[in-house]
Amino acid sequence: MSEGDQRRAGEQVRTSPAENHGEREIDHVLEALDPDRERPHDVVLSKDLSLSFGDNRILSGVNIEFRRGTITALIGPTGCGKSTFLRTLNRMNDKVSGFRYEGDVTLEGASIWGPDQNLLHLRRRVGMVFQRPNPFPMSIGDNVVAGVKAHQIAKGKQLDVVAEERLRQVGLWDHVKDRLNDSPFRLSGGQQQLLCLARALAVGPEVLLLDEPTSALDPISTELVETLLRKLTPALTLIIVTHNLGQARRTSDNTMFLYGGKLVEHGPTEELFERPRDPSTEHYVTGRMG
Amino acid sequence: MVAVGDAATGGTPPVAARPSVKRDPLLQRIRTGVRANEHHLWGWGGRISAAAPFVALVLTVLVLAFKAWPAVKVNGAHFLVGTDWKPGSTYGAVAYTNGVPHPVGVSYGAWPVIAGTLESSGIALLIALPISVGAAFALTERLPRWIAEILRYAIEILAGVPSVLIGLWGALTLGPLLANDVYPFIASHVPDVPGFSYLKGPVGHGEGLLTSGMVLALMIIPIIASTTRTLFAQVPPLPKEGGEALGMTDWEVGRRITIPWVRSGIIGATVLGLGRAIGETIAVAMVSGSLLATISPNVYGTMGTIAATLVTQLDSAFVDGTGFEVRTLAELAVVLVLVLLIVNILARLIIRRTGNLSAPLGVGL
Ligand SMILES: Nc1ncnc2c1ncn2[C@@H]1O[C@H](COP(=O)(O)OP(=O)(O)OP(=O)(O)O)[C@@H](O)[C@H]1O
Ligand SMILES: [Mg+2]
Repeated sequence: MSEGDQRRAGEQVRTSPAENHGEREIDHVLEALDPDRERPHDVVLSKDLSLSFGDNRILSGVNIEFRRGTITALIGPTGCGKSTFLRTLNRMNDKVSGFRYEGDVTLEGASIWGPDQNLLHLRRRVGMVFQRPNPFPMSIGDNVVAGVKAHQIAKGKQLDVVAEERLRQVGLWDHVKDRLNDSPFRLSGGQQQLLCLARALAVGPEVLLLDEPTSALDPISTELVETLLRKLTPALTLIIVTHNLGQARRTSDNTMFLYGGKLVEHGPTEELFERPRDPSTEHYVTGRMG
Repeated sequence: MVAVGDAATGGTPPVAARPSVKRDPLLQRIRTGVRANEHHLWGWGGRISAAAPFVALVLTVLVLAFKAWPAVKVNGAHFLVGTDWKPGSTYGAVAYTNGVPHPVGVSYGAWPVIAGTLESSGIALLIALPISVGAAFALTERLPRWIAEILRYAIEILAGVPSVLIGLWGALTLGPLLANDVYPFIASHVPDVPGFSYLKGPVGHGEGLLTSGMVLALMIIPIIASTTRTLFAQVPPLPKEGGEALGMTDWEVGRRITIPWVRSGIIGATVLGLGRAIGETIAVAMVSGSLLATISPNVYGTMGTIAATLVTQLDSAFVDGTGFEVRTLAELAVVLVLVLLIVNILARLIIRRTGNLSAPLGVGL
């Protein structure tokens, strides 16, 4: 089954996060057809994870699981360690001097720091989109397939096919189909970010980490990206850092709230926003903090 | 800069406090960066000092061209394509061609030294560019900071070594070493493929094309490497992290992101180095063999370059009572300027073609 089928199936299941509560016949049928049903539900698992830079402990004892095909919003006041946590998941922090971790993170049951884990392959499976668009200094078309080439997933004519498919997927194809050989730096900021998303999707990741992906974008581009993100599930598992609480509510299934060096609370988005269990969560989501 | 500092500390009374200036004097000075009454001076001083090198260059070329013109009339196109260098009979009769006096039997063809210039600097570039870019990459991305710092100083010192010292070392140490131990090895191990015959044959005694190329490479590596290092240090981290997050190796990030990001700057640095190699005189004169009318059949043979010819032939040129040989050397100098000009124009064309895809200035990320 191709990803396209999965995506369509996903749209039928998830019209909106709020309607997810209702049990429907079709859900059971689709679940039975789900090629992933034999695999563990929790794609990424953080076990007692503590992160520090030098003597500066950023987060301690984070226990959380990310379910396959869901979107998790990661919220919290500035400096609480959202980016640090996210960057740990694809080991971007490993080369940062002073970075230390305790506990473990597993991807489909295997530790991401395990001896059998190939770093490059891990990063192919766990992709990342950054706060600001970061196109590479090569043509628009080459940008999309840069990772595909690096991992030798396709070559020659196939690359063009991949580039077109991914650009269509992010809704950029019609804008750029006549200037695939042009510089990406002449695209608008929103288009550049969509290009970076296409680039991350091109290598076929299982998990996509997004660190405030829309913070440099205008409302229209933001909406474009949010719509796109919803379409990416359940084929992909998304973890998205955002300062925009509206965005967290609109896009995510689950939300986790980091504060004071801890994972204070996590749960279904609707529940966390409507009935926060912790007072600090309540302060934050009602806009009285951060 | 000074004015901004003054304004920030309130060191001098604000000049712009005069009633005629409407805007906030502090803001005004910060905006323009200079005090109102300095503006005028700075403008003219700046213009003159910016134009000075250009004017000097044009004047030099004009004087040379003026001096060379009679020689151009006599030597004709033969000067660019001919392969002989005959000063004629200095003590014989004077002949006239197109009204220009010259010794009987002169025939100047500069093609061997033009070719020698292009070959030796081409070889220097082939050796120096990968080494320089590799060194710059290692300095900014790979090596521990303290080692990088030491190496950076070493490169700066190397850039300051007088070329006569490098030439002497090349002639006394490097050349013989290469001729005894390295060249024979290369010559006997190169496959018998048509294009590679250039690397076969007699290896000589250490003076010649390849030794010149290596000595020149040694002289331009510091130029290209230090500029490229500065460029690499300015590449923002975000695109590089983007590459890493896609699962690229450090090598791929360097080759596909870091280097292309500053491609036009590297081309500029390369042209700077190439210009130095093309114009380098004394070191090449010491290690090339300084021949006038010989194109080396292979990469090891003795040869000469334009610049080396100018310095080695000037003395004997003055013996020519008609002054014709000096005029011919002036013509050779004009050719050197033209070669440099063509190299610069080519570089500009390359930058225009590839610069299209590199990051625009001011993309800080
Ligand atoms: N490379 C580093 N070295 C040392 N300390 C760091 C480093 N990176 C981040 N920190 C510290 O870790 C803490 C968490 O930073 P982080 O970037 O994860 O915050 P954040 O939640 O993403 O904030 P924001 O919402 O502003 O992006 C901060 O106090 C920061 O100073
Ligand atoms: Mg952050």
